[in-house]
Amino acid sequence: MVLQRDAARLRRRSLLAGLASLPVAAALPARAASSAPTPEAVLHDWYRLVLELVRHTPIYSPPVAARAFGYLGIICHESLVGGAAPLVSLAGQVGGLGALPAAPAASDAASVLNAALAAGVARLFSHTGPTGQRAMQAMARRMDEKLSAATAPDVAAASIAHGQAVVAHVLAWSEGDGGAVIENMGFPHDTVDPASRSPAQWVPTSRIAQQQAPLLPHWGDVRPFTLPSAASCGLPPPPAYSEEPGSAFYLEAKEVHDAKAALTDEQKLIARFWSDDPMLSPTPPGHWIAIAMQIFERDQTPADRRAEVLARLGMAVSDAFICCWKSKFEYDLVRPVTYIRRVMDPKWEPLLITPPFPEYPSGHSTQSGAAAGVLTDLFGEGFAFSDATHEDDGLPVRNFPSFAAAAEEAAISRLYGGIHFRAAIEQGLAQGACVAAAVNRLTTRKDA
Amino acid sequence: MRALLLLTLLATPGMAQEPRFAEETATAGLATPYLGDWEYMVGGGVAVFDCDGDLRDDVFLAGGAGKAGLYRNLSETGGALRFEAVDSGAGVEAVSGAWPLDVDGDGITDLALMRVGANMLMRGLGDCRFADASADWGFDGGDAWSTAFSATWEKGATWPTLAVGNYIDRMQDAFPWGSCTDNWLHRPGAKGGFAPPLPLTPSFCALSILFSDWAGTGQVDLRVSNDREYYKGGQEQLWHLPAGQPPRLYTEAEGWKRLRIWGMGIASRDLDADGDTELFLTSMADNKLQSLTESANGLPDYADVAFARGATAHRPYTGGDIRPSTGWHAQFDDVNNDGLDDLFIAKGNVDQMPDFAQADPNNLLMQDDAGMFHETGEAAGVASMGTARGAALADFNRDGLLDLIVVNRREPPQIWRNTTEGAGAFISVRLSDDGPNRDAVGAWIELDTPRPQRREVTVGGGHASGQMGWHHFGLGAATATQLRVIWPDGTAGEWQDMTPGFYRLTRTGAERVTP
Repeated sequence: MVLQRDAARLRRRSLLAGLASLPVAAALPARAASSAPTPEAVLHDWYRLVLELVRHTPIYSPPVAARAFGYLGIICHESLVGGAAPLVSLAGQVGGLGALPAAPAASDAASVLNAALAAGVARLFSHTGPTGQRAMQAMARRMDEKLSAATAPDVAAASIAHGQAVVAHVLAWSEGDGGAVIENMGFPHDTVDPASRSPAQWVPTSRIAQQQAPLLPHWGDVRPFTLPSAASCGLPPPPAYSEEPGSAFYLEAKEVHDAKAALTDEQKLIARFWSDDPMLSPTPPGHWIAIAMQIFERDQTPADRRAEVLARLGMAVSDAFICCWKSKFEYDLVRPVTYIRRVMDPKWEPLLITPPFPEYPSGHSTQSGAAAGVLTDLFGEGFAFSDATHEDDGLPVRNFPSFAAAAEEAAISRLYGGIHFRAAIEQGLAQGACVAAAVNRLTTRKDA
Repeated sequence: MRALLLLTLLATPGMAQEPRFAEETATAGLATPYLGDWEYMVGGGVAVFDCDGDLRDDVFLAGGAGKAGLYRNLSETGGALRFEAVDSGAGVEAVSGAWPLDVDGDGITDLALMRVGANMLMRGLGDCRFADASADWGFDGGDAWSTAFSATWEKGATWPTLAVGNYIDRMQDAFPWGSCTDNWLHRPGAKGGFAPPLPLTPSFCALSILFSDWAGTGQVDLRVSNDREYYKGGQEQLWHLPAGQPPRLYTEAEGWKRLRIWGMGIASRDLDADGDTELFLTSMADNKLQSLTESANGLPDYADVAFARGATAHRPYTGGDIRPSTGWHAQFDDVNNDGLDDLFIAKGNVDQMPDFAQADPNNLLMQDDAGMFHETGEAAGVASMGTARGAALADFNRDGLLDLIVVNRREPPQIWRNTTEGAGAFISVRLSDDGPNRDAVGAWIELDTPRPQRREVTVGGGHASGQMGWHHFGLGAATATQLRVIWPDGTAGEWQDMTPGFYRLTRTGAERVTP
């Protein structure tokens, strides 16, 4: 299990983590103490904290969280590029990333990663609350103490400097992508007047005052990592809006309506398992990061592979949300709860809380499709895994025969939850596959 | 089911005077700041009660990392607000919140102090003196980050049942998420005092709890508002409290609906005099006004009507800071005496959270005849930008208008005198019952003119703050009313003909008093 409950167990696991350190330079000195965190442990512990920070930093809606995972993944990946290391820099491959600082002749991978993550997390989560700030500082302090005690001073200094230089380079690049500043938790201050909208258009579905405007209406214009623009993975329109019984749109709505009444306990569990609500979970992109982390721990995946996976997965979910949001505001489609109450059943209630933005396509479907496409490319078809992401929240472990199966379950969970029509789910998965293909064209390691 | 008033809710001509307050912080003499950093980011309470028997509301202030302070009310009737510090014996450190109640039924109000560390029950000795009676009363104060408190008298009990809400495990400061510690239920012991506390498992980082007969059925349950920032698998809670049995949670089969918010404070009031209570829950960037649905039928099936009724405090309404708000203490009371309960909300950033307003004005939402709420905080003069936590509305200078005190982090409290001109008439009553429950906690007060009003007498809720003593009702243009009490054992008192003023009510009648 990746996500454990308390700091004592976290510390214990850090000590028990694998002992191998990753040589990124030929002249890597021997580690002075076997109890020092390995690069794998550094990655694991920082990402474990990041998943909590995503949950507890209110601006981290799913698209914003995905962006952070994209940049953090690249930071990890680029920290381990250089010398004899097998990773290939993403500079020149992803949107506007220039050549990064060269690695020093001698460095310690764990120290480079820790310096990079300490600075990167502090910057990307600078808006978290006082508890998150304390936790970040405590993590940095504890890691630094252990690493500095185990590393030759000159190597430690060079490693820290390199990690910080990588972060500075990546974050400077990130500032210009159009997604760096989030106000009012992503909600415009100008509210939407339902009376001004056509029946086909999205209207607010929440009774929360802040959510009377759609979340992040311009997120589709954020610079993608692996695509020229969000239009590269555009979608065909959803079924034409109609209230005519027998029309394609009506039948899709009826499917959602009828599904609610017939939900099995298993389907309800699936809906809740993939609900991944902001501020109550690591969000949908964080769920896929958590899946990757569980696989890393189960298989004792080496640090270079972890960094490569985190980079590609982070970029995939981030680009997926950019493309998805572009389509959402292009088609601006009404949510099931609005349509069903108006046309079919005034008292109908979906199982899940309807998110405050247009319906088509399904964000979870898009980003799950992208994540599954990338992970399948990295780990292979039919790669089985167990997912305990929500065990601490009381939801049982689920087992999947493949990443594609998990993505399909995540996608259909939105229909069970009553928040998406089938077209949004199917086209969302297709859009995700388009994004994954772009990510999978990157060259991330020398032997690829 | 207690009988409801016969009168229908008519749109009586409200006085609807715009409220006005004059800040008297600089001259009032209240000097205790609420200090401390991370372990005091929640809490910051004020207890309002009469500590010396002169019928005037005195003030106890939590001091956080500093010492708490008790202040005797020296305000002249209708005059400026003035207090003097008292060497009370209750000025201990690490107090986050305070609630007054007569624990031992001796007629002198005691204090329950919630602390970062061992909680304490301070016995009132009279003349504003207190002594720690925790050990004498068998009260195990524990060692937690306690933040919330409520009290009730279970049927037939001679000692109260206390509920303590606890927050995160403060020893897990590097990774506190998921470390919510158990809330506690202190029931009476077999020989007086208290039995060892029962853990209210699961607990989800409570910041406000309230014993309440929420459905108006005579059955008291425990509502808990929890901070989703720290729990895993948590939600808001409602506990059954069956006599002689362990508490148990309401289930979805019983109508409970999962709600997950940054629960900070609870205000409870039967706003429409229909026999059950509405609940206002403070949070961040949002708040809830829960009202039972028409089909609730005794089940906790609530609709959120905050947005529909304008009872929202989700972002600042003045000051130029447009980031979302952070709400803490909330309280329903009638500040212009028009016979309609208004809503005060104390607001303030947790501590340098950049995505939330730093200049976050307190709200004063006035209710109109149609049940809608309208913001008046700025015009009223209470739109303070201090980092507020606890608060209280109370008539400190006995002029029939509710004044306001607000606790802010890292500074002495702010206090305002209510100077509303042309306000309606008022009645203030203090209940005095026989037996151990001297303040009649659990009673309902009913009033019929100018419109039906019903109020449950509770101890708890709010944020870290509590009051005991006067119950204030606006009368609008009415010059007389009838009022009665449904006592905690369900006995309905006689309707009392009353004219504006202050009264002490017992089971035998009403006595006009001059505080």
